[in-house]
Amino acid sequence: MSALIHLDNVTKTYTLGAEEVHALRSITLSINAGEFCAIVGQSGSGKSTMMNVLGCLDVPTSGRYLLNGSDVGTLSDDQLADLRNVEIGFVFQTFQLLPRASALENVELPLVYRGLPARDRRDRAQAALARVGLADRMTHKPNELSGGQRQRVAIARALVTDPSLLLADEPTGNLDSATGEEIIRLFSELHNAGNTIVLVTHAPELAARCPRAVRLMDGRVTDDGPGARVALVPTAKLPSPLTGEGQGGGDVAAFDLGPPTLALPRKGGRGNAA
Amino acid sequence: MLRKLRRAFVELSESSRQAFGALRTHRLRTVLTALGIAVGVATVIAIAAVISGLNSSFTQQVEALGPHSLFISPRPMISRGDWWNYRNRPAVGWGELRALRENATHLALVVPSARTHGSVRRGDEHVDDVEIIGTESEYATASNLRIQQGRFLTDVDTAASRNVVVLGADLGEMLFPSGDALGNRVKIGAQHYEIIGLLERRGAIMGKSLDAIALMPALTFARGFGLHRGLTIAAVAKQDEVNEAEDEIIGILRRYRKLPPEVADNFAVNRQEALLSFYKEMTGGLYAVAFGVGLISLVVGGIGIMNILLVSVKERTREIGVRRALGARRRTILGQFLLEALALSSLGGFFGTALGLFAAQVASWLTPLAARAAPSVVLLGVLFSASVGVIFGAWPAWNAARLLPVEALRYE
Ligand SMILES: Nc1ncnc2c1ncn2[C@@H]1O[C@H](COP(=O)(O)OP(=O)(O)OP(=O)(O)O)[C@@H](O)[C@H]1O
Ligand SMILES: [Mg+2]
Repeated sequence: MSALIHLDNVTKTYTLGAEEVHALRSITLSINAGEFCAIVGQSGSGKSTMMNVLGCLDVPTSGRYLLNGSDVGTLSDDQLADLRNVEIGFVFQTFQLLPRASALENVELPLVYRGLPARDRRDRAQAALARVGLADRMTHKPNELSGGQRQRVAIARALVTDPSLLLADEPTGNLDSATGEEIIRLFSELHNAGNTIVLVTHAPELAARCPRAVRLMDGRVTDDGPGARVALVPTAKLPSPLTGEGQGGGDVAAFDLGPPTLALPRKGGRGNAA
Repeated sequence: MLRKLRRAFVELSESSRQAFGALRTHRLRTVLTALGIAVGVATVIAIAAVISGLNSSFTQQVEALGPHSLFISPRPMISRGDWWNYRNRPAVGWGELRALRENATHLALVVPSARTHGSVRRGDEHVDDVEIIGTESEYATASNLRIQQGRFLTDVDTAASRNVVVLGADLGEMLFPSGDALGNRVKIGAQHYEIIGLLERRGAIMGKSLDAIALMPALTFARGFGLHRGLTIAAVAKQDEVNEAEDEIIGILRRYRKLPPEVADNFAVNRQEALLSFYKEMTGGLYAVAFGVGLISLVVGGIGIMNILLVSVKERTREIGVRRALGARRRTILGQFLLEALALSSLGGFFGTALGLFAAQVASWLTPLAARAAPSVVLLGVLFSASVGVIFGAWPAWNAARLLPVEALRYE
């Protein structure tokens, strides 16, 4: 299978006065089309920096980034803009919705930069919002929506262009666990539908459900493998809100909410399952 | 190609929606900023309208003198602050008149006139500040006067220095509202004069009525008011002989006054052309001043636009980041903020134009200045303000466009 993403010796160094911050140190990594990959790691380990590079929002200090086989470093600013528009859907940790625009207008925005006529934009944006379960909230402004609804608007905006790569930086970071669960379920559905997804998360139980997870530490890849293994081993010592008290750190199974098939009905079975 | 065009169109309509949306959101800010531009544009338009009004009335007036007319007086009609040099010049008198009449070959007409100001009375009624002119029959031709009732002065009136007078339209109407002026008498100074004619209305120029005049034979005038201010001689050159006529007049008068070659003329020959060119020079200066004032206030307004746009870019840094992340190109962001600047300044330009025209109109109601707004001036004002927007918006817009997506998104 050809690699959709290939990072080749990518470094990112921030210079703050005399001090140098090495956010990414020599990262080499491939992600194939159709994969669902989690990025985990402690705060400050370089996850967002890597996502920004993957999303063509930032350029590496050195190294090459091949997206779909072409070297992103050789592209002009305009070409990068087009690439972001066509190939990439980015879900930001802080939603990054335009506050004065309705949910529908927010979702339409990437289609504006694709030059679609208004009617097509509206049809596609409505479809995307319906897909994330917000058919009845289209005309609401972001401040009239709950956090989870905003996140879903942000996801709809990332999906509306049918990107070949969906990037999500802590899409559940601001949400309670139930809403986070809903979002993750949505991503699983998208993955099952064939989308390539790279997702940053702090929650090990979510990463554990991804077929693949990559652990970053101090700007380096320290682990790469099935989500269940990569996500759970080192964090087992850390308390997690979902583990509940009294559960042993090594009790890996406690986090395993089941196989990531997740074609669950929207009403959710949490109450019944208890 | 078609795709590109369509994309450009879609982005443009989105950008203008954004620009107007931003202006609507900050109404007060928008109005105040646009006001800065409006004041500049209004100033230029109002001044230009007043000058252009002045211009056309003056030109009309001077052209009415006729291109063949020459006026001989001690001092130039227009002096440029050097009147001191002319203060001791001798008056022009009957001698000069006779010399010209006897010797000139390029002149069709030589007409003397003496002037003063006074009141014209009829019983208790009186009109003040009337221009009283002592002259001869040919004055009507030389000055383009037309008789409405009765007759103008004749050679007989002049030769006999009869106490007769021809009144301007205003005077006749004011003193004889019932229209029975002809044959009646008015008192000017110490004497009574019989009214023999009324002139056609000539209107007013720069607030000064051209109809408040009373004409009488030159000798009658001399008897009533004296000739201490001397005469003005109007000379009309034969067709296409103005230049020769001017030289000839100068020669005749120098000879008559026995001026040695090294002494400069001690009289002035005024021509319409000279009046016009002087006037053009003067209004040219006014235009330059108006332009300067307008330019300064437009620059001030432009700085206001730049300021507000910088604020707007700062406020919307995150939005810019979002747009860039979603595929907006630099030029799209640039265009969005340029449009905002353009909308602001055009708004200012529009209201400024309206305000300027209104001010000019008010000026022509309140003052004798007849303002006239040339369409070209309005167009100029609008274009000018629009370009001010683009020029002063360019830098903030470029600031917005060159933001890096990550940094814009991270902005707090
Ligand atoms: N613009 C910047 N200027 C300087 N240093 C930066 C900048 N952005 C990130 N860094 C540094 O780079 C390192 C990696 O940051 P990054 O945001 O990628 O971490 P992260 O893994 O996303 O952390 P978190 O989980 O808390 O979001 C950190 O040490 C951070 O301080
Ligand atoms: Mg981060």
